[in-house]
Amino acid sequence: MEGDIVEAATILGKLLGAGMAAIGVLGGGIGVGLSALGAVQAMGRNPDVTGTIQTNMILGFAFAEATSIYALVVALLILFVF
Amino acid sequence: MEQPRKWRYGVNRWLILLFVILGVLAARAYPPILPHIQLPAEAISGEPLFSLPVIGDFYFTNTLLATLIADVLLLLLAFGVYRATRSGSLVPKGLPGAVEALLEAIHNLTASTAGKWARTIFPFFATITLLVLVVNWMELIPGVDSIGLLEPSEHGYPVKEIFPGVATIVKGAEGEAHEGELYALRPYLRVASTDLNFTVSLALISVFMTQVFGARALGGTYFTKFFNTRTLFKKPMFGAIDFLVGILEAILEAVKVLSFSFRLFGNIFAGSILLFVVGSLVPIFAQSAVLLFEFFVGMIQAIVFGMLTLIFMSLATVGHAEAEAH
Repeated sequence: MEGDIVEAATILGKLLGAGMAAIGVLGGGIGVGLSALGAVQAMGRNPDVTGTIQTNMILGFAFAEATSIYALVVALLILFVF
Repeated sequence: MEQPRKWRYGVNRWLILLFVILGVLAARAYPPILPHIQLPAEAISGEPLFSLPVIGDFYFTNTLLATLIADVLLLLLAFGVYRATRSGSLVPKGLPGAVEALLEAIHNLTASTAGKWARTIFPFFATITLLVLVVNWMELIPGVDSIGLLEPSEHGYPVKEIFPGVATIVKGAEGEAHEGELYALRPYLRVASTDLNFTVSLALISVFMTQVFGARALGGTYFTKFFNTRTLFKKPMFGAIDFLVGILEAILEAVKVLSFSFRLFGNIFAGSILLFVVGSLVPIFAQSAVLLFEFFVGMIQAIVFGMLTLIFMSLATVGHAEAEAH
């Protein structure tokens, strides 16, 4: 009986913790949106450099995404390791 | 020239339709199930390769096998291109031509970023980018993560033999009592980037060689970036701040290893979990879109890993004092 409660609490804690860790994805989303905003505005002003802007935009996506990937890694670690 | 081309397109169209129908039938016959996801790589050899006294046993894991296969692929490509350039024709055709175009693009990028250190930095940048690219794209090959040994496990599912010696995991009906032993799959191949050992070792190589290039370019003055005592005695207040900033720089170098390795690991591990989940929920069609997305993510992560290595290395070869001067 007591073992069951402990097990259920462990699972509950794991799932809650993983969910809360995933809140960190928010910042990455905002960052990616901002970089897309800047890139599209720049392309609208100067369509000739679209290629360069796209390359740098995708690099910027990858860096902005990195922090949310850390949050995701923490969530995955909580779910599958501990 | 026109006639066979038309004929080939017609055949490809029907082949694709045939594969779609076969895929639907296979998914109806043996519904895919979500595998047991675990973070450490699974050992595929029963006994450890070798043991170290304090650290422990080293097993031959499936991610190590995937890394070796990627190495062999790259070496074969390199020898193929080498032979093509030795054959005498100045204008390469086909695959060697594509490789030459790719390497030229990478070399131009290095030359524009690293300046006179381009020849030293280029091998590291190109090797890391190409290795990570090949390793990431292995995720897209059918059979990776899904062919392997069956072993008894408490998380497992019942199995059914389709050919003698070849069995597949089948999904039992919901709530039905499982009879007999339950098995889980231990795949022969798993994408190497989903193993932290691979990403951390690449990151260590990158960051360590950054220090080596910095020391080679600037000599002993490179390390005053970390232990900044130049202004400590002349202007005590600002000198102390500079010294603390130097210590922060040293911590940043260590954090680089973490950020390098977790970026690659997180992207690819999350991608493979996404492939598992989508494949088990919607076994028909839906995975194609995710495969395309993963193709893109794998390429981007390879480029980002290489680009960051390139940028950090070329920053290290430029002195702190020179940077302040302008």
